[in-house]
Amino acid sequence: MISNQILQNTVDGMKSITRVDLCVMDTEGKTLASTISNPENYENSVYTFAESQAESQVIQGFQFFKVYDDHQLEYILLAKGDSDDVYMVGKMVAFQIQSLLVAYKERFDKDNFIKSLLLDNLLLVDIYNRAKKLHIETDVRRVVYLIETKNEKDSNALETVRSLFSGKTKDFITAVDEKNIILVKELRKNETYDDLMNTAKMLLDMLNTEAMSRVRVSYGTIIHEIKDISRSYKEAKMALDVGKIFYEDRRVIAYNNLGIGRLIYQLPMSLCRMFIKEIFDGKSPDDFDEETIVTINKFFENSLNVSETSRQLYIHRNTLVYRLDKIQKSTNLDLRVFDDAITFKIALMVVKYMKYMESIDN
Amino acid sequence: MASLKLLNINKTYPNGFVAVKEFNLDIKDKEFIIFVGPSGCGKSTTLRMIAGLEEITSGELYIGDKLMNDVEPKDRDIAMVFQNYALYPHMSVKDNMAFGLKLRKVPKDQIDKLVNEAAKILGIEPLLDRKPKALSGGQRQRVAMGRAIVRNPKVFLMDEPLSNLDAKLRVQMRIEISKLHQRLETTIIYVTHDQTEAMTLGTRIVVMKDGVIQQVDTPQHLYDRPNNLFVAGFMGSPQMNFIDCTVNVQGSDVYLQFTNSEISIKIPEARAKKLIDGGYEDKEVVLGIRPEDVKDEEAFIATSSESSFDAAVKVYELLGAEVFLYFTVDDHDITARVSPRTTARPGDTIRVALDLTKMHIFDKETEQIITH
Repeated sequence: MISNQILQNTVDGMKSITRVDLCVMDTEGKTLASTISNPENYENSVYTFAESQAESQVIQGFQFFKVYDDHQLEYILLAKGDSDDVYMVGKMVAFQIQSLLVAYKERFDKDNFIKSLLLDNLLLVDIYNRAKKLHIETDVRRVVYLIETKNEKDSNALETVRSLFSGKTKDFITAVDEKNIILVKELRKNETYDDLMNTAKMLLDMLNTEAMSRVRVSYGTIIHEIKDISRSYKEAKMALDVGKIFYEDRRVIAYNNLGIGRLIYQLPMSLCRMFIKEIFDGKSPDDFDEETIVTINKFFENSLNVSETSRQLYIHRNTLVYRLDKIQKSTNLDLRVFDDAITFKIALMVVKYMKYMESIDN
Repeated sequence: MASLKLLNINKTYPNGFVAVKEFNLDIKDKEFIIFVGPSGCGKSTTLRMIAGLEEITSGELYIGDKLMNDVEPKDRDIAMVFQNYALYPHMSVKDNMAFGLKLRKVPKDQIDKLVNEAAKILGIEPLLDRKPKALSGGQRQRVAMGRAIVRNPKVFLMDEPLSNLDAKLRVQMRIEISKLHQRLETTIIYVTHDQTEAMTLGTRIVVMKDGVIQQVDTPQHLYDRPNNLFVAGFMGSPQMNFIDCTVNVQGSDVYLQFTNSEISIKIPEARAKKLIDGGYEDKEVVLGIRPEDVKDEEAFIATSSESSFDAAVKVYELLGAEVFLYFTVDDHDITARVSPRTTARPGDTIRVALDLTKMHIFDKETEQIITH
């Protein structure tokens, strides 16, 4: 249904053009939008007019018109004055509101359709039938972007995304919850994954600078048929999750670039617990002090290079060797040895994943 | 307009990655500060922390006198211009500039006033009714700047705003930004990895590496008196020549002997004293000399016999106003920036001399400066 705000804008706009006072009421005489100061005086007349067979009528110095939505009486429009000119204005405004209803319904239907597609709520046969009815192309390249805002119901972020893509009628912007904005974007034939990354970065920078919102942007893979939109959406969702767990420093995350995080994210929790028990023997890497954790991370960052790590940590090489020996003693893993280092690295990632999953369960 | 104070700012991600470490900086009102460094050095992270788009792990950030750590980005009175800007395609230039203000529910008459003022400053008044597709690249960039200017912020934050432009437009916009700073008289913090942008725009430059400030100084001072090997190598193109040497003391004279070479140069007395006082006798150091301080002019060589040596020219690069000569002297690669009148060509062996008044000597282990 059209919001009262849109109706009010319409009657205000029409009044400023025609100088005719207007009022829109529902069929029970409740005022929805008006330029008249005391519309409640006409409540009973509206009720009577709605029940009558007449399409228009002059009552108490106003011309009354009926506005239909798909043959169903939706609104009563009142135009002040009984002249022919006012009659013409009233007819025009009634037609305008009726057109708004059609346009809004179409948009609303499209939005509903896309939401149902994203959430896998449609049968395959319905997807193609409804897409045809709504004039949505079925066999074009598309991708789903997911924009997660820090604050719930970030209207500035939504408005910014809408404005960036509103010129393009083939892109859809919707939301299925309060923290995520979904953009289903149609792609040109020659658009590559590099272009997708550029679009994601543009979204990030625009939301940062214009809406001043903290956001993360992720996207799925390119799909070629409308039925696969939910797949691209699920991929974007997974990319966002994997990014949050393993790549906190990245603000843009692509499903096709999740690295080892992709594998760990799919592990069942029972397997993770078994693996961690095997590696840390019931202990948790959280038991390491901060200094040890920083040392381990720096050592990994520098590709197991002792000299470079000690230089970056501003410690003597021997101090680093001592710390690595200490870790070896408590875990039986020598981080200078590639196999042990990779086991340790994966174990740290698994622990992070387990913590994330536990935080969701709680 | 405002000053900024960053006190012991740290950024550590939950995975333990330290992006910024103990960042301390005072930025004065109306300064044009540049954060420069290689990618991953923490410059953008620092800027994003100032913007409020990234949480500060520890430390304090003040804009003016107000502690900003927990203030939302939109309430910090800042405006940002980032690399991947876009214009709203269906909106006019005027509406593009006004969009952010509309989101913030600024009254319409005030929006009109601010947009018109910004358009005047940027010289885009005649373009206000145009749509983005009717604008050139430079004009679009100006509109993007305009969106920041209309906010009338205390501080402008710019993160590589020119890196998506072609080389010619980048030079043009660099000049525009410099003029803009003079006109707006406001504080600007600008992130770049391009040292030319840093040198030409900044009143002060912050050189960063691995999340740590290496040096904060004026462009000229940074170039002339780098604190360490990293800064010396990062600022200047072609970069400073670095030659590994051993310090030889013979009586009261101190010589730098090029590693794996017979070449030895005598160090001026004041610098020699610093080497002796620092206990560098027989130790390895790094001699740093800028390409323009490697001379091939006969007159200079004649007066600098103690720092001259023969070198075989490998590559000759004519850039119009200057020539770069690339030599290999034993194991050491050296570049000289000389006059285009030089007769040296690849394959020639010519005599060159180092201008020892401009030399820098670094500790090989700590990479810190010993003497300029």
